[in-house]
Amino acid sequence: MIKEKKTIMRKIILFLLIAGLILNLVGCTQEAVVAGENEDLLETNWESILEEAEGTEVNFYGWGGSQMTNDWLDNFLALRLKEEYNITLNRVPMDIDQVLNKLLGENQMNVTGTADVIWINGENFSTARTNDLLYGPFTHKLPNFNQYIDVESVEVKYDFGFPVEGYEAPYGKAQFVLVYDEARVEQVPKGHEELMELVKNNAGKFTYPAPPDFTGSAFIRNIIYDIVGYEQFITMKADKEVIAKAIQPAMDYLNELKPYLWRNGETYPSTIAQLHNMYADHEVFMTMNYNSNEAAARIQTGEFPRTTNTFVFENGTIGNTHFLAIPDNAPNKAGALAVIDFILSVEAQASKYNPDNWGDLPVLDNARLSDSERAIFDEIQIGKGALPQHILLDHRVPEMPANFVPIIEEIWMENIL
Amino acid sequence: MGEYKMNKRNRTLSGFIMHIMIFLLILPLLVLVVWSFSKSWPWPNIFPQEFGLRGILHVLDPSSRALKSLLLSIRLSLVVTIVTLILSIPAAKTLGVYSFKGKQFIKMLVLAPIIVPPVAVGMGIHLTFIRLGLANRFIGVVLVHLIPCLPYGIRILTDVFEIIGESMEQQARVLGANSIQTFTNITLPLIAPGLISAGSLVFIVSFSQYFLTFLIGGGRIITFPMMMFPYIQSGDRMMASAYSMVFILATLVVLIMMEKAIKSYYSTKNYFYL
Repeated sequence: MIKEKKTIMRKIILFLLIAGLILNLVGCTQEAVVAGENEDLLETNWESILEEAEGTEVNFYGWGGSQMTNDWLDNFLALRLKEEYNITLNRVPMDIDQVLNKLLGENQMNVTGTADVIWINGENFSTARTNDLLYGPFTHKLPNFNQYIDVESVEVKYDFGFPVEGYEAPYGKAQFVLVYDEARVEQVPKGHEELMELVKNNAGKFTYPAPPDFTGSAFIRNIIYDIVGYEQFITMKADKEVIAKAIQPAMDYLNELKPYLWRNGETYPSTIAQLHNMYADHEVFMTMNYNSNEAAARIQTGEFPRTTNTFVFENGTIGNTHFLAIPDNAPNKAGALAVIDFILSVEAQASKYNPDNWGDLPVLDNARLSDSERAIFDEIQIGKGALPQHILLDHRVPEMPANFVPIIEEIWMENIL
Repeated sequence: MGEYKMNKRNRTLSGFIMHIMIFLLILPLLVLVVWSFSKSWPWPNIFPQEFGLRGILHVLDPSSRALKSLLLSIRLSLVVTIVTLILSIPAAKTLGVYSFKGKQFIKMLVLAPIIVPPVAVGMGIHLTFIRLGLANRFIGVVLVHLIPCLPYGIRILTDVFEIIGESMEQQARVLGANSIQTFTNITLPLIAPGLISAGSLVFIVSFSQYFLTFLIGGGRIITFPMMMFPYIQSGDRMMASAYSMVFILATLVVLIMMEKAIKSYYSTKNYFYL
């Protein structure tokens, strides 16, 4: 009798517990914090933005796979921001596609996020813009942007052909370079023909990462440019047939090259990291990079042999700009503005350009710098294995529109792989 | 005499196999240690050409915050381990000792989080956690770590309860102990070895979580694997090895300490069933 009562009690308690749990989950639709309460921030003047930014914490989300880049942010930028504005910079190593996933989720719920500044460019920027994830236009608010940046330059106005419209500020410039070992490559090829000759004479010593690897894809675009020129792509329609026809000579070239590649071109390294390691291990005699100074950095860290050097094709190599943006749901927009403005200062850009720190190309317009400011950049000793800025800029051709990239990768897979 | 000889031969053979096994387990770890101190190690050299301290110095440098995130990781995984064990004990006892309808089904269901990949449910959990205000917080990450951890905790302890049964607890109750006394004096010491193995495994599972921490922690909770993975991805082998070495060492130290703590608390003399 008593026992029966006890089991009934137990069942009731169990039921109540489960009901409570379910109700809890359903009922707990906490008031979502609506983002964008400081929409008028862009209306106020710069001094009050700085005042608001003072003493705050700024979360910087970006790729964290390079020690040099990480150290520059942790050791230079974070320290200087603390001194200048008492801002605490919090670096979060997160790939941009993961950041975008997170922002998309948060956007769906309309809540304030955690990222204040994000490191972005190209396809990801166009994704973020078309989904309305970014705050802005904000660049016209930044004093350093107005003073030092050439707003009419194609590289500032367009990011992989997508109009920037003030929703991201330039951070640094990258340019595609080929990296070789002086001890093993006798004659540096000036263009695609000489490259073909070199590879044919040294079968198995060269290869490139298979797209969709970012750098491998850039190598293919570079070969296309070198063979058929880049001008026609600016106005071309993003149509697979049109593009396929235009780049056919380049595909023929890559097919001719294929049997002389590493492992007879039957397989390709899947990432640039793999190719770099193959180069470091002397398996191939050339690698490539979309960051023109990374090879110098890797000589410094000891990963690459000291006889490493870089070169560009005579007809130029592709360059792009990487940018900084502010998510629409950033918790500290004033702080983000202050940080981005500081990154555009001569001091920060020069420090970033120094290969001892990072070696990223500056985005400031040379014509807008005073003589003393220009001297700061000229004094920086670029490391062994890097090309001086003027050589790179003289051999720089613009990126294709972002939506061409997946089409070309598809054509490559159908024709070459 | 012949038997003795046979025995001896068997023993040398098994000793030989054991040493090979240990060697095969240790060798990759040794390579890891060497890599974390070598700048370059091109083929066909057996030993690296140049050594350096870049990797390990970076990990130890306070400005890289690697050690800070290591401490956070250890704290997080310890909390997850304790919560998992607390939740696992009653569930495991029910599954191990009692018989009821649908028991096999529930046993299967417990393993579901291991079978269903976290990526498949991660985005949905993220949205729910944002709504509940759990995203970007320590407690949210603890909760989401429970998902991959609970199956291990419950399954291991279920086996333990199946072995020990309920007879000892019933005996204690007959002798007048109340339920709390029974639990602390009988059940816990009995399952202590199970707690050690379940706890160790749960700790490791939680400690190596990457994707779920990333998604729910949103960059607010930066654990050690989150600092380590970018280097593995970008192919900086020295850095990746240095991080991995610290990762393995930290896990080992915590596990040994955990085992020592539990063993000294419930002294081993009562393990009659082992």
